[in-house]
Amino acid sequence: PTPGQTALPTYHGDLSPHPYLSPREIVVNEANFVRKCISAESCQDDLWGKLVCTNFKVSFITHNSLPRQCTHRLLGEHDIPLACVEQVVTVNDVKGKQKILGSNQKLKFNPTELILYCKDFRIIRFRFDEAGPESAKKVCLAIAHYSHPADPQLLFGFEYVGKRYHGSTACTRVVCSGERMNGIDPGGGMQTTLFDCSSDWDREIKRTGASEWRVCTINQGYFISPSLPEFFVVPVSLADQDLKQYACFFYSQRIPLWCWNHSSGSALVRMSNISDPQQQRKVEQRISSAITKSHPLRSDVFKSDLDKNLPNIQDIQAALLKLRQICVIDPFEESEEKWLSSLESSRWMEYVRTFLRHAVEVVYMLESRNVPVILLEKEDRDLSCVISCLVQLMCDPHCRSLHGFQGLIQKEWVMAGHRFLDRCNHLKKNDKEESPVFLLFLDCVWQLWNQYPAAFEFTEVYLTVLGDSMWVPIFSTFLFNCPRQRAENSRWDWSQQFSLKDQTLFNNPLYVGKIATCVQNGTVKTFTHRRSKKNYSSTLRGLPSALRNGSLGPNDTLARRNSLVLRLRSDLSQVREQQETPSERFIRDFFSRPVDLQGLLLPQLLPSHLSVWKLYFLRWVPEAQIPQGGPITAFHKLSVLTDEIDMLQNQLRQYKGAGGTPNNLHAEHSKMYFKATSTPHQPPAPPEYLSSSFPFSPVGNLCRPGILGSPLSKFLNGAKIWLSTETLANETI
Amino acid sequence: MEESGSVDSVESLCSSTTTRSDRFSGTRVSDTEPRSKGKAIEKVYKDPSKGELPLLPEELVQDSAKDVTYICPFIGPVRGSLTVTNYRLFFRCTDREPVFGLDLPLGALSRVEKIGAATSRGDVSYGLVCKDMRNLRFVHKEPEDSLKKSVFEVLIKFAFPVSNNMSLFAFEYKQVFPENGWKVYDPLAEYKRQGLPNESWRISKVNDHYELCDSYPAALFVPVTITDEELRRVFSFRAKGRIPVLSWIHPESQAAVVRASQPMVGQNGRRCKEDEKLLQAIMDANAQSHKLFIFDARPSVNAAANKMKGGGYESEDAYQNAELVFLDIHNIHVMRESLRKLKEVVYPNIEESHWLSNLESTHWLEHIKLILAGALRIADKVESGKTSVVVHCSDGWDRTPQLTSLALIMLDSHYRTIRGFQILLEKEWLSFGHRFQQRVGHGDRNHTDADRSPIFLQFIDCVWQMTRQFPAAFEFNEYFLITILDHLYSCLFGTFLCNSEQQRLKEEVPKRTVSLWSFVNSQLEEFVNPLYVHYPSHVLFPTVGIRHLQLWVTYYIRWNPRMRPQEPVHQRYKELLAKRAELQKRVEELQREAANRTASSSSERAGSPTRSITPVQTFV
Repeated sequence: PTPGQTALPTYHGDLSPHPYLSPREIVVNEANFVRKCISAESCQDDLWGKLVCTNFKVSFITHNSLPRQCTHRLLGEHDIPLACVEQVVTVNDVKGKQKILGSNQKLKFNPTELILYCKDFRIIRFRFDEAGPESAKKVCLAIAHYSHPADPQLLFGFEYVGKRYHGSTACTRVVCSGERMNGIDPGGGMQTTLFDCSSDWDREIKRTGASEWRVCTINQGYFISPSLPEFFVVPVSLADQDLKQYACFFYSQRIPLWCWNHSSGSALVRMSNISDPQQQRKVEQRISSAITKSHPLRSDVFKSDLDKNLPNIQDIQAALLKLRQICVIDPFEESEEKWLSSLESSRWMEYVRTFLRHAVEVVYMLESRNVPVILLEKEDRDLSCVISCLVQLMCDPHCRSLHGFQGLIQKEWVMAGHRFLDRCNHLKKNDKEESPVFLLFLDCVWQLWNQYPAAFEFTEVYLTVLGDSMWVPIFSTFLFNCPRQRAENSRWDWSQQFSLKDQTLFNNPLYVGKIATCVQNGTVKTFTHRRSKKNYSSTLRGLPSALRNGSLGPNDTLARRNSLVLRLRSDLSQVREQQETPSERFIRDFFSRPVDLQGLLLPQLLPSHLSVWKLYFLRWVPEAQIPQGGPITAFHKLSVLTDEIDMLQNQLRQYKGAGGTPNNLHAEHSKMYFKATSTPHQPPAPPEYLSSSFPFSPVGNLCRPGILGSPLSKFLNGAKIWLSTETLANETI
Repeated sequence: MEESGSVDSVESLCSSTTTRSDRFSGTRVSDTEPRSKGKAIEKVYKDPSKGELPLLPEELVQDSAKDVTYICPFIGPVRGSLTVTNYRLFFRCTDREPVFGLDLPLGALSRVEKIGAATSRGDVSYGLVCKDMRNLRFVHKEPEDSLKKSVFEVLIKFAFPVSNNMSLFAFEYKQVFPENGWKVYDPLAEYKRQGLPNESWRISKVNDHYELCDSYPAALFVPVTITDEELRRVFSFRAKGRIPVLSWIHPESQAAVVRASQPMVGQNGRRCKEDEKLLQAIMDANAQSHKLFIFDARPSVNAAANKMKGGGYESEDAYQNAELVFLDIHNIHVMRESLRKLKEVVYPNIEESHWLSNLESTHWLEHIKLILAGALRIADKVESGKTSVVVHCSDGWDRTPQLTSLALIMLDSHYRTIRGFQILLEKEWLSFGHRFQQRVGHGDRNHTDADRSPIFLQFIDCVWQMTRQFPAAFEFNEYFLITILDHLYSCLFGTFLCNSEQQRLKEEVPKRTVSLWSFVNSQLEEFVNPLYVHYPSHVLFPTVGIRHLQLWVTYYIRWNPRMRPQEPVHQRYKELLAKRAELQKRVEELQREAANRTASSSSERAGSPTRSITPVQTFV
């Protein structure tokens, strides 16, 4: 590889005065001589350019563009998809007026300023001092209008999806090459399982060894329930006829769905409420006994009531709003002192912990008690998605691979009918339905990832980008409420959004485990086999004994076998058991054993174990950025090392094979974003542009480090950032 | 037993730390792999369950008692036997699975007291308050024979040797290590590394015999334009005679970091011509800047209040071209109180629902933030502003070394290496007289002493925060920092004994004790951060917001069994390094084979076709 390939940032050097338009994207309105502010106060480093509103995004076209680290294929550095705009605020600072703009509204003053509050936590400010007052007003109204589409048909996704599958050649080419990424060769057919056909479910049944379960096709054509997938899995003892009969008793005819089987044979099932109280007992009985019949030991079912034990969607939404307030809106310096208590009172972390803990309880029932579990939720479309996914992530290493994880989301969110359209509030119609359930789930995954980074094939950049994809509604995956509404099959095609090089940021150099997953070309291996498999990383382990306060090193795991011990042991075990519930005992036992990254993973759940997902929540805040620091610097080193290992393995293969010239193909195939240097005896220096926000950058959003000085100088000068949305709301006329 | 010798003892030095046991588990698993040869010290850990105590050289069992109950806050009462040596307390219970043990250097005890009266069964309860964030409670039957001393009375005697006119165990301990840690710091060599003396700075012998300032080192660097005679006058103007002297000089801009104590201005605004001249000379020694920044670590209110006691701060009238900045860092009493609150919050159990607000109410992280922020401003002035700075607090031995040493870590990558960090501690903390004896209270029974304060712990915490923000910038790992803290209290090594260089010489500490660095440097691989990359001129500017600071849970909460320390990234990195080494070896073998074949068949292809990869030291 040429030295130039070593992690140079991609420059977004497009100087054309026109915005890049996707197929079917059209310009709605634009204003010239607009200033994009790069800090709270106007300053000489602000950018000048054209503000454009299309039917897909708000675009700012400027000549003095800055280096960009991760190039989005459809969105430029200063672009914001309309679906990502949370609130449009216009200001006239001469008259001291402010207004939050909605759809089809009038504006009685000429705006001097436009502030966009975005759902991905960005805040962007434009000034119109030099722009024509009329054009400024028009572009603001256009942005407000188009970011509040009246019905789903006006969402850009509809326009775009149609176009895509009827073949722009450029797109197809990208798609093809994209599928080679992430270690998957195009011929091998490793793709994300979509669970939109009977065979996908069949394979999942085989993979998990759920022999007493079958694919049910009665909802083909969505005749039974519009929110269920066309194919789903039920106990073999339930006939189609019975299911059709029961369907009407369940909330919106949602027949209970099989999620997954534990290797012990215990199934995880999700179920909505039974609306008819008279039938409730009978139907529940029938369903439960059918599940019991499908269990190898005929164990009784455990029902886990999620509505009772978990925060509801409004709670979650309220928590996120508070979190956003303290992360990006409150002035950085002034909110410092109260950061921890504000974080606590937002309750976000508490909810993350509650969900994780509940999932651990379910894992305990499946793993230790060996009973089937039904997740009960009124509609079965929000909390169950989180819990069922977390349980599978903890138990099933397949779900921790990139494709396994995407398949999991496809199965438990997309196919099970999580109402993405309503929860994202894309139509901005019903704020009560808006709730970041999916983001909460991603945060839970991040916590697991943060505790066991080597157990996951993907990185936190991947999780962040996945969260952001909710606001780029060109993919039907996160656009609709249920599978039925999805006109076309959605595909997990990252190459539409990111270049191959940028996609390598998703690959975790720490990942321990087989890239090849359980099902390959129809051959089935159950993951129980894989659990016992040792790999050379089994040394990754924790303490031998949980007894931190008095561990004696390796010897304390050695059982002492003599009669004296047995006699005395009963006294001590009493002490232990009166304090501990069986599930606590289960958790403690887990932590007293070495962790097998390809086996069961339980998160540690003391409040001190959880951290704020800084990459997601703080990436746009310049003051919170660590220049040339952050976990990315470790990631950089690990990537380079992994790449070197890859290279050596290639060389070995070549020596063993035909003996051709080694290392020619390496650079092309490398899975790492940061590659080994070609200059020997010189450790790879981390690139200058690395920061804790990488690959995202607060540059161009609020401040511009290289010019203004580092965030340090802002700190030293006591920078202020923004008015709070609440203040703005209060001052609105 | 006391002859168990060096083989076991190295291990037991660390048995009080938790990361240690983590490492044990690692070595146990990798037993199948060939263990690295040529290590200075072979490691064997004796099985304590077989009734053997891993004793250090000169460590003697003083007393032991059976049927002692340890009231463990996590698993309830545990019955076992308690042994007290002249170095440690060792509690062992073999009646349970897994075997339960407690191994604690007596130096870590700050207070031992009987709680309440004997119960009807004759049980007496003892509470042990430790300096390392835990409290222990034992229940024990009082000996019926009133002449016989209880094991706890023996414990008290050996836990507080200084109060009992005995010497600390460090003076008994005679372990021989391949490395001599007392040779780590040579002041002249360190200043020479910085390019000193040079045309602007000279070494002054004025304090050679500690006559002018007993808490300063013998070697002092001052501007060449100031005579020793003038310095003598400055000594009387600065608190405790701690005059402004050079700590560090920027290799390019010549901007200097100078440390001092407060000027004795008093209520009447006393002035000292020579002091003013000295500060002017410090400024003049740096041609790049016509300004001097004086960083007073204290809150301005406290600085002003010090005038009542004869102290104060530099007035801008007297010191022209100097700008005074207050850094708002609180005094030793506030810090002690903050740590006390922190201990309440983290030990033994964490209150789940209010963890964050409880943590906030201790203000610990806020203090950490202020210290780091102060150091950052100093580093920024020196690096970006190319301006020399003078740093002082009241006496210049608590907040001042915190600030200067942190600023030096940011500015000079040498101090981020293991040896460089040792030099930094030896220089900024030990030679410049941080009062370790007073602040830690080695072997002293008087736990209420108002001079005790966790100043050094706070500094190590700040360093840890920086290692979190820059995971590849430090040569040492977290275990290194924890080891330093454990032996700050253990009194096994002489390093942190006494209050000043003068006292250490007087007590012949370097002759009579072992340095902590002898131990550390004899097994460096334990302390190496595998991710470390050395960038010679890389200045670190940490982000000091509370958002980026976190509680050092693996230190403060390490006694909680639910707190599992893990450094999977480091572990994994080491595995990958091993894998690379192995692959490299195989590739090289094949290359050699291929080369031989080529040579024999006299092919044209010459040279190695492969790209060579930097051989990196692998510690696995």
